[in-house]
Amino acid sequence: MKLLIADDEPAVRALVHVTLEGDDYEILEAADGVEALEVARGEAPRLVLLDIMMPRLDGLEVCRQLKADPDTSDIVVVMLTAQAQERDRDQGLAAGADDYFTKPFSPLALLNMVERVRHNQSGAD
Amino acid sequence: MRRLRVQLTVLLALLGMLVLAWGAAIFLGARDAARSSASIQSSVDRVDELRQAATGLSREFVAMETSRRAYLLTGDRASRDARARAEVRAVEGFKRVSALSERWRNLPPLVSDVAAEYRAWVRTGQTELKARRRGAAAAALVASRGNADKHFRQLWALQARLEDQLARSQYSYARNQDRTYATAQALAVRTALMMLAALVLLAVWLRRAVGAPADALRSASGRLAGGDLETPVTLDVDNELGAVASDLETMRRRLAGRMEALERLRHLSAQVVGATSLQRLTEVALAGLQPEVGATRAILGAARPGGDLVLRALAGFPDSGVADDIVKADAEIRHVLPVGSLRAGQVVGLADLDEVAATTALHELVGKMGVRSLALVPLLSRGRFLGLLALCWTERHQLDREQEALLGLAGNQIAGALEAALRLEEAERAAGEARAVFYAIADGVLLTDPFGRVTAMNRALEALTGWTETDARGRPYAEVLPIATDQVGGPADLVSRYGRRVPVAVSSAPIFDARGRVVGGVDVIRDVSREREIDEVKSALISTVSHELRTPLTLIHGFAELLVLRDMPVERQRSSAVEILDASRRLARLIDDLLSVSRMESGRLVLDPRPLDLASVVERILSPFRAMAAKHTLRTKLPGSLPVVWGDPDKVEQILTNLVGNAIKYSPGGGEVLVTVDQDGDTVQVSVRDQGIGMSPRDMGQLFEKFYRVDREEVRRTGGTGLGLYITKRLVEMHGGRLWAESWPGVGSVFRFTLPTTSDELAGSGR
Repeated sequence: MKLLIADDEPAVRALVHVTLEGDDYEILEAADGVEALEVARGEAPRLVLLDIMMPRLDGLEVCRQLKADPDTSDIVVVMLTAQAQERDRDQGLAAGADDYFTKPFSPLALLNMVERVRHNQSGAD
Repeated sequence: MRRLRVQLTVLLALLGMLVLAWGAAIFLGARDAARSSASIQSSVDRVDELRQAATGLSREFVAMETSRRAYLLTGDRASRDARARAEVRAVEGFKRVSALSERWRNLPPLVSDVAAEYRAWVRTGQTELKARRRGAAAAALVASRGNADKHFRQLWALQARLEDQLARSQYSYARNQDRTYATAQALAVRTALMMLAALVLLAVWLRRAVGAPADALRSASGRLAGGDLETPVTLDVDNELGAVASDLETMRRRLAGRMEALERLRHLSAQVVGATSLQRLTEVALAGLQPEVGATRAILGAARPGGDLVLRALAGFPDSGVADDIVKADAEIRHVLPVGSLRAGQVVGLADLDEVAATTALHELVGKMGVRSLALVPLLSRGRFLGLLALCWTERHQLDREQEALLGLAGNQIAGALEAALRLEEAERAAGEARAVFYAIADGVLLTDPFGRVTAMNRALEALTGWTETDARGRPYAEVLPIATDQVGGPADLVSRYGRRVPVAVSSAPIFDARGRVVGGVDVIRDVSREREIDEVKSALISTVSHELRTPLTLIHGFAELLVLRDMPVERQRSSAVEILDASRRLARLIDDLLSVSRMESGRLVLDPRPLDLASVVERILSPFRAMAAKHTLRTKLPGSLPVVWGDPDKVEQILTNLVGNAIKYSPGGGEVLVTVDQDGDTVQVSVRDQGIGMSPRDMGQLFEKFYRVDREEVRRTGGTGLGLYITKRLVEMHGGRLWAESWPGVGSVFRFTLPTTSDELAGSGR
């Protein structure tokens, strides 16, 4: 299963890498919003992990554009944010995100969530 | 002047004498008349007596003749005896007549004629009688001859003449009596006429000497009583009334003078009341008093609340520089002022200042002022000492009592005006202060009347609303100050005349007058855009700090969890531990920054400066960047020999690290980062140049402010606390240097700072 991690922080991308390592995931990376949109459109991943605070284009906008495009609206979007306020979560959900992780997050919880998505996909297939 | 009295006395005495004379005339006249009438009466009686005696005598003559003739005829004895008896009686009668006639001069000759005739008659009769005794014939003869008869007839005629004489005498006596009465009457009438004339004369004189002048005096006094002080009292009479008139005239002149002075005083009062400034008051007072007392200059001093006199105004002095001299001699003047008398309301005249100004300082002052005499007029209002008006004469001048009294009165008038002027001044000062505060205050202030119409607004509010005070005055409050609120209870925005919305905080209060009635309202409108901005900056900071804290925390948490719960190859475990270590460092640095700011702001950050080799510091901080930055080229340009700088090694390192770090961070496309060091006088200038995104001039303005971050997408999305440049600038300034930047959007930025050099030797080889 293809998934995309978009975060301007390389260490966070590394953490996701390490978390999902060895479970047959194809992990794509993007360092900013624009790159994230390009990769998502080009590679059509099943899941996108989106940081909200990113250079050039923030995660909320990326999410909105993905959900607005029929080609990409099926992609499961999970927001990753350092902002814990309710307002941010609501904004994320309003932008069409499917789930929400607040930093610091548990890598195992992320893994569970990703596997659930994969399971749903296989079930649906 | 006792003339009138003397004249009157003399006149009355004259009159009295006239009356006495009149009385005497009447009395004497009456007495004379009475007396003369009595004497006439007795004369008449005696004439009567004489006449009767004469008549009796005549009768005896007749009896003698008759008896003689009878005897002659008859020879009768009896006849002869009768005749002898008659003759005896005749002799007696004759004696009586002679005695009685003695009183009258003209009678005795007549009586002696009668007597002679009688004797002749008797003799002839005797002859005839003798003849008879011889016989009748002879008698007849003798008788025929008629001698006796003839004598008788002559005697009879004489007797008749006597009687006639007596009758005539009686008549003349009666006439005399009448004449005496008439004389007395005439005298009385004449005296009465003289008295009447005297009375008329007296009346005329009284009228002239007393009546007319008294009338003139009466009308003059009536005029005075009626308030006519213009018409002079003239009476050209040289007596007591004239003196009264001249006294009245003197009185009139004095009264008129007084009235005139009072009128001038009233005029002065009216003028000083109109004078609202102390300067004007002094000038008016001087102008009013100059014609009265001749003073040509005036100085006004007003008492301060503490009671000290302070020079407030001068008038009439050709050189206003005198004011400074007076102020300089303040202490000396205060020392010689007769404060006690002045406070008691007494006008004090100093006729010769040379005597008073004993000290040299005052002597000089008096010389400079060109004043010879002074009058100090205390200004008291309701017993309170308000100040002093000093009137000055350039020539010697001694106040007289009248001038002193006038100045005292004038002082009261001026004091009233002074009190009003001081109160006005105080009110104006207070109003001026209030106005100055009102217009200068940084917050917008709006004053309204009880109906909510604008009466005044200050400059700050003009700037805020776009209205000018002139335009806004009289308009309803809501028109000038429309407030828009997006949601109930939410922040209020003021909508300016041109539609700009400004976040404001409004506080309002009613304005009360002394009796507690609302006379208006005041609104203070505070532009809170800065506060709101700060709020926004703060919440952005919190979110930034939170993001910055959470990111390393996420890494630490995540990698640690993986290490604990997952089996990983040793290599992976190692790299995870490195990530945890890096994140911890990042966290520590962030906390350090925050602590630095906190310490700087509370003044607890202290430098530990020492001589420093800048070149080695630059090289040292660049090496970690060189290791990390793949896209950037880091170059240095250092002169051969650098002076030793004076700085805290740790802080200088922090400054350089921050600037180079920013240069790399804000040139995401890579490029060259050039660090240059130059000597510039006794400072060293370090510059860090990049080829990054650059900044607009607008961003540059707030570049070094705390928590400020350039509001651009690229920047916002780049992690940062907004503290780096703030800390850097503060550190440079703590070293006595300066930090500034030049930038061109899309081209790059140069940050430059200076550090002071020192002549000290390096302590060892640095670090």
